[in-house]
This record gives sequence, C-alpha cells and structure tokens, in this order.
Amino acid sequence: MHSIWAVALNTIRQALRMKIAAVFIVLLVVLLPVMGVSMTGDGTIKGRLQTFISYGFSLTSLLLCLLTIITSVYSVTNDIKQMQIYTVITKPIRRFQFLLGKLLGVLLLNVVLLAMFSAVIYTIVIFTPRYFKTDIAETTRLKNEFFTARATVIPAEEDVSKEVEKEYAKLKKDGQLPPDVLASKSANDKYMVWLTNQKKLEKRAAAVGHEIIWKFSDVRASEPNQSLFIRFKYDVSVNPPDSLVYGRWFAGDDRQLPYDIYAFDRKDTIRTFYEIEIPGDAVAKDGYLAVGFLNVPLNNTVVIFPPGDGLELLYKIGTFNGNFFRSVLLLLCRLIFLACLGILASTFLSFPVAILLCLVVFFIASISGFVAESFDFFGEGAGIIYNYTAVPVVMLLPQFDKLNPVDYLVPARILDWSLVAEVFGIMVCIKALLLLAIALLIFSRKEIAKITI
Amino acid sequence: MEKQEILNMEYAIETFSLTKVFADWWGRNRVCAVEDLSLKIRYNEIFGLLGPNGSGKTTTIKILLSLLHPTKGRSVVLGGNATDPKISARIGFLPEESYLYRYLSARETLEFYGRLFKLPSKVRKMRIESLLDMVGLKAVANRAVGTFSKGMARRIGLAQALINDPDLLILDEPTTGLDPIGTRQIKDLIIELAKRGKTILLCSHLLADVEDVCDRIAILYGGKIQSEGKVKELLQRSDKTQITTGHISDMAVERIKQIVSSEQADCVVTSPMDKLETFFIRIVAAAQQQSQPTSGAVSTTQIGNFLTAGESILDKLVSAGGEQSRTANPIEQKLSAQTDTQPAHKGPVAADKEYQTKPDEQLLSKLTEQPKPVATEPVVTDKNAKAQQLETETDEKEQTSKSILDGLTEDGM
Ligand SMILES: Nc1ncnc2c1ncn2[C@@H]1O[C@H](COP(=O)(O)OP(=O)(O)OP(=O)(O)O)[C@@H](O)[C@H]1O
Ligand SMILES: [Mg+2]
Repeated sequence: MHSIWAVALNTIRQALRMKIAAVFIVLLVVLLPVMGVSMTGDGTIKGRLQTFISYGFSLTSLLLCLLTIITSVYSVTNDIKQMQIYTVITKPIRRFQFLLGKLLGVLLLNVVLLAMFSAVIYTIVIFTPRYFKTDIAETTRLKNEFFTARATVIPAEEDVSKEVEKEYAKLKKDGQLPPDVLASKSANDKYMVWLTNQKKLEKRAAAVGHEIIWKFSDVRASEPNQSLFIRFKYDVSVNPPDSLVYGRWFAGDDRQLPYDIYAFDRKDTIRTFYEIEIPGDAVAKDGYLAVGFLNVPLNNTVVIFPPGDGLELLYKIGTFNGNFFRSVLLLLCRLIFLACLGILASTFLSFPVAILLCLVVFFIASISGFVAESFDFFGEGAGIIYNYTAVPVVMLLPQFDKLNPVDYLVPARILDWSLVAEVFGIMVCIKALLLLAIALLIFSRKEIAKITI
Repeated sequence: MEKQEILNMEYAIETFSLTKVFADWWGRNRVCAVEDLSLKIRYNEIFGLLGPNGSGKTTTIKILLSLLHPTKGRSVVLGGNATDPKISARIGFLPEESYLYRYLSARETLEFYGRLFKLPSKVRKMRIESLLDMVGLKAVANRAVGTFSKGMARRIGLAQALINDPDLLILDEPTTGLDPIGTRQIKDLIIELAKRGKTILLCSHLLADVEDVCDRIAILYGGKIQSEGKVKELLQRSDKTQITTGHISDMAVERIKQIVSSEQADCVVTSPMDKLETFFIRIVAAAQQQSQPTSGAVSTTQIGNFLTAGESILDKLVSAGGEQSRTANPIEQKLSAQTDTQPAHKGPVAADKEYQTKPDEQLLSKLTEQPKPVATEPVVTDKNAKAQQLETETDEKEQTSKSILDGLTEDGM
C-alpha cells in the first residue's frame, strides 16, 4: 500500500506540475460561471436553470473524461518512454502495484476535480433564483418542477393482440387482405406487425372529438396531497396554422359515479413538452388515477402522443440534492471506466495511439444507442465469426448516452439508487475491472526496457 | 537443488549462458546484443564490465534487473529474481542516464524513492539529508531536477541508488558527466562500500576508474566475454620481471644490466605493467581482426576528416582569437598525430610536437612487444591473446603495430 500510495502521489504531482490539469481547471472555472450568467433558456428561471445544468453537466463530464484519459495515458506512457520507470520498477514494488498506483493517482485527482466542479454547478443552481428575485408562483413552480426528484410513470401499453386478430379475421372474411399476404408466410408476418403497430398508434391517437384515457394504479407520492404532474408532448397528423392544439384534460377517479374529476382547458404548441399540475387529492385512496385528453372540435387534426415520453405522470418521491449527488456518482462511474481504459491502452501502445484509442471508445460510448442499432442491423446477416468477435467488443463498451445524468436532472426525474448501483456494477465492477485485469496481465509480462519504434 | 543453493550462497550475481536477441516487429533485423554470457560475481566483489559501445553491457544489466527477458539462459541475483521485492529491496541501480522525474525537486525525488523502499519516515529523512550532503546538492535540494545540469542529475541518480543502503550496487557508467572530484568521490565510495561488504557491478568506459577500483573485470565484445579475470592478473606480463627501486645511480643500473645479461636476458628500464587502456585496445582490436560480429559501434581512433583536412574549423575559430592559438595548436597536432595511425596516447595535451611523438613511440613499442609464446596463466582466460601471438610471430615489429592499429581504424571504414 505504501508504494502504491507513493506512485499515486507522484502521478498527481505530475498532472498538476506538468500543467495538464491546469488547462482543464481554468477552462471549467471560467466557463461554468459564464454559462451560469449567459444561458437564458426559454426566458423563465426554470428554463435558465435547466439549460445551465444541462450544459454545465455535459461540459464538466466531457472535460473530466478527457482529462482522465489524458492523465492516465500520459502518466504511464511517459514513464515508459522517458525511462523513469527503470528506476521505479526495479525498486521493491510489484508491477501491479505500479499500475494501481497510477490508477489511484488519476482517480484521486479526478474525484477531487469532480467534487469541486459539481460544487460550483450546485452553488450556481441554488443561487440563481435568489439572484433573480423570483415571485411566489415562480418559486413554487421551481420547487415542484426543478428542485425535486420525481417518479416517472409511463402508462402501460395496452394489449392489442386480440384486436389485431379480430381485425385480421374481419379483413380476411371481407376479402380485403392484400393477395401476397395470403400467399407467403413472411409477407403475412410482416403484415401482422404492421397491423399491430397500426392498432398501437390508434391507442395513442385521438381524432377530433375523441378522447384517450390512461389509467394509472399504485400512484404513491412521498407526501400526501402534494401535486402531481402530467408531462406531455403533442404530435399531429396535419400541422395547425398557428401550431397550437386545443385540449381538454381530465384527472381523477372515473371508476364510479359520481366522478370526482378535475378538468383543465389548455392550448399548447405542438412538439414541445408541457406539464400540467394536478392536485394531490385527484388520486384515489388506493393509488388509482385516470387521466383523459379530449381532442376538442376547435382542432381539425388528429392528435398523437409519441411513444416513449409522449405522456408521463410525474410525482415527487425524492429530493433535488439526492438526485444531484447520484448524478455526480454516475459521472464518477464513467471516469473510473475511462481511467482503467487509459491504463490498459498505455500498457501496450504509445502515447498518441493510446489517446486515439481511448477517444474513439469514448465517442462510441457517447453515441452507443446509435452504434448498438447499427450493429443489430449488421448482425442479422452476419455469421458466427462476427458474433464472437465484434459483439463481445461492443458489449464491453459502456453506454454513456443511455445513462446521462442530464436526462434526469433537467426534467427533475428520480435517478434512484438501484439504477446507480446497476451502472456501478456493470460499468465499474465488470467492465472497468475486466480492462484493469487485462492491463495488469499485459504489464506484468511486458519487457519494460524493450524499445519499439 | 543442493548444488544450486551452494552456488547461490557464493555468488551475488550468476548468469547461465544468457542470450538476448533483439528483433523488430516482423522478426527481422536480428541483433544479438548478449550471447551465451556466463558471469559469476562473488559477494563483496567489485566487478567491472567493460566493452566498446554497443557491446551489450547495458543489456546485460537490464536482463539482470528483469527489465528485459532473456531470449535464452537465466540469471540469479542475490539468490533469486530481481522482481521479488525482498531482493530488489537490497539492490541499488543507477541506469545509464539519470532518468528522473523532471518536475520533482531533488529532495522530493529522494523522498519518492525512499517511499518505494518503505523506509520509515525518520530513517528516510535522515538518509535523504545525508545523501544530499554527500552528493553536494543540499543547496539546490528544492529545485526541480529538470533544471539540473547533467552532472547534477547524475549525482541525484547516484543518491537514489544508495538510499536503501543496498547490498548489491549496479552502476551503469556512474561517472559520465561527473567532474573529477565527483569521479574521485564515487571511486572512494565504491571502495568504501566494498570494505563494508557490499557487492558492486560497474560498467564504465573510463578505464582508469575501473583499474583503480575493480577486483575483477570482464571485457565484452559483440555480446560475448572476450576476457575475464582479476585485474592484477590480467595486466601482469608474466614473462617479465619488474624490479622497482628507489633512485639509484647509473653505475648501479649498469651493474644490474650486467647481472641481467649474465642471465641471458634483455633489460629495459621501464614499467613492466600494461596500462589497462592498452590491454583494452588490444582485446578489442583482436576481436575486430577476427571480424567477430558486433551490433555496436566499431571504434576507430580516427576523427572525422572535416576536422583534419586542411584548416580545421577549430583552427579557424581560434585563429581569430590570436592569443588562444597556442592552446589550439596542440589540439590540431593531436588530431593529425592520431590520423597518422598512431595509437591513442595519454600524453598531456598541452605539449609541442616533438615532446608528443616520444610517448607515442614509447607506447607503440609497448604495444608491439610480443610476449614470448609461453603458456598463459590459467586464471587469465585471455582467449584472443593466444591467437594474436600466433599471428604476429612472423611479423616484423613495426608491421604488427600497424596491423593492430589498422585493425582499429580500417575495419570501421
Ligand atoms: N531495445 C532494443 N532493441 C533493439 N536493439 C537493441 C535494444 N537495446 C539495445 N539494443 C542493441 O543491443 C546492442 C547492445 O546494446 P547495449 O545498450 O547493451 O550496449 P552497451 O554495451 O551498453 O553500449 P554503451 O557503451 O554505448 O552504453 C546494441 O547493438 C544495441 O543497438
Ligand atoms: Mg550502455
């Protein structure tokens, strides 16, 4: 432990005195406050805070990720290239201790910086509303929709298979099925998928004068009688001239008369997220809540709620502080992974190549959703070799974009511990540790003094 | 197994036909840096490893310290493997160049290495101060070593190698870049450490240093040991008898000569000991004459002709300075003297030509004097000396001298 600590300390000194860290620190110290002042979002305080926290977090994450890659790769490859490692590794220190020391140094440095910059972001976020002297309505809105951590409930997708079957039978009876569907099995399957999607879309779409009702059960807020929020986004079949959709919303218990229901009339811009606040007592004692939308005849278009986040029910179950802290932990997981990656790369590559490799992995991880999709696409036609080479490599890649803390902080969505634990387990305990183990293995067999050009 | 242990008890460093072949990524350009090297270095011995540039000295050391894996053979250091912390804790290592962390100060550097040895902080602090004192860097101890001059960095490197009070000290050209006082100090230090029972492996090109301190030496060429033995025995010309006296009159000398001639022997009144330098050149020249393979430099005594042809650059520079031309002349003379395929001389540089040629002739004749083909002493495993004797027996004295020097100078062209 003593020697690991000595190496770690030396690594931190290196990063600080060679002014590698300094560049990043200056960048963040300058940029964060500037962003705090200059980002106005949609003009409201909430919009301002959302934009700031989104960009602030992304920037901090990007810069610290880069710093982690650079410091970890630099400190190992430089020692090898400038041969200082000759006098270090011949001292009573095991090779794995040397690498662990480097890793510890890089991580300590980055943890301290991460803590520092999260503190800066946190302070700016907390103090901005005070600075702008918000009125009471705005303050409550912030409290309910930003400085909180809310559970998200997406209405369960209805089972449409029965309806699809019925429709199919009816079409068949009427002889309205396309002729090739009856001929081949694959065409038939495709037709069924299309029909299913069609039915599902119908469930999310309301024609003029029609109503959609979503039913939620087990809605349990952390405090009784606190507000709930419906977060939604309209999509339309025909663009209205002013891009506005008129709607009448209901919320309450509709299981027995007399209905105990709240109603809201609104007009909202299409393809933009809005939230409707519902009083807490709209939820029945057993946690049941029905939410309805009526496409009023003022519109002359079909209104569609896009799949995924088209309609969600939000209610407070945690605090902003807790959420913020867990978001920082998510970033830390990334840093740990990247540090291990950097160490691994530098055990067998020279500085520029190792940096390049790490950056490529970092950017792929940042667009992992896209990459995974394209691999799925290729994978359909590929053979065994592909499945045993490319697929494991892709599996090893982390998914930074899927678990972006910004996605939780901006809509004030709960980022619960179980998710953080899962990310930590997969990204750190499995992937990062695997990389580290490979690094230790390579390094323990490496001919340190062998010069490759 | 038992035999192994006995061996380990006896030798601080032992290698068993160590071979290291470097190849590039494709396995081409094979370089045999060390070949079939079997070294045995006893405890409490000062062992000198000599050889021209690229003869495999540093490579040998790197293998001993597990910085390189041998292609064949194996090595035992202090009865084990140098990667074992128990063993590396007893080794001090000064690499070829002082590879230091440029951003650390002298004191921090020693602090860092002290921590690696897990020295308790009190002991560490004490040793650091005394080492800084010893290498004379106390006054600059808080400056970053990146700003140090070469010799200063070397001194920190040396201090670093000594911080654990090692039982085995491996020094790769410790005196490069050091001033004469520093060099003297290191020599004294080495002898002092040996008195205290330490073992020292020393690589150096400065033969005078090696001669002064080493008990035994090995001369490497092309990765192979050309000669190995006790310094005294290697340098002893066994076919000669040396009589060392105080100042005696010419009469006495004449009387002695008479006595000697009555023994049917010639008598020359000079020092009968080879200088190590001569010996070294002879061994290397012999190896080159047999065109043994080397992956290193093939040394010559020649100077690039742009320096010697006509008016040298040096000359031009100094002739402008008038006064300084006196100091320049001997340099030019020295250079021209060397290009006349004369051996390297140890004569003082500031001398006129007449004075200078004399010691050269003296040295030449010393070089060319062939030992009579008597049996070489068993301790001296001087393989090439024999070959050379056979070769040169038929030659005239002067031709021999040429062929050796030609061997040195022409092979490289
Ligand atoms: N990493 C390497 N890759 C390829 N060849 C190497 C490598 N290291 C050393 N060599 C070669 O091995 C030979 C021996 O080198 P080594 O450094 O041991 O010489 P040396 O005796 O220490 O020379 P010097 O007196 O100049 O220090 C040289 O020809 C060198 O080019
Ligand atoms: Mg060397």
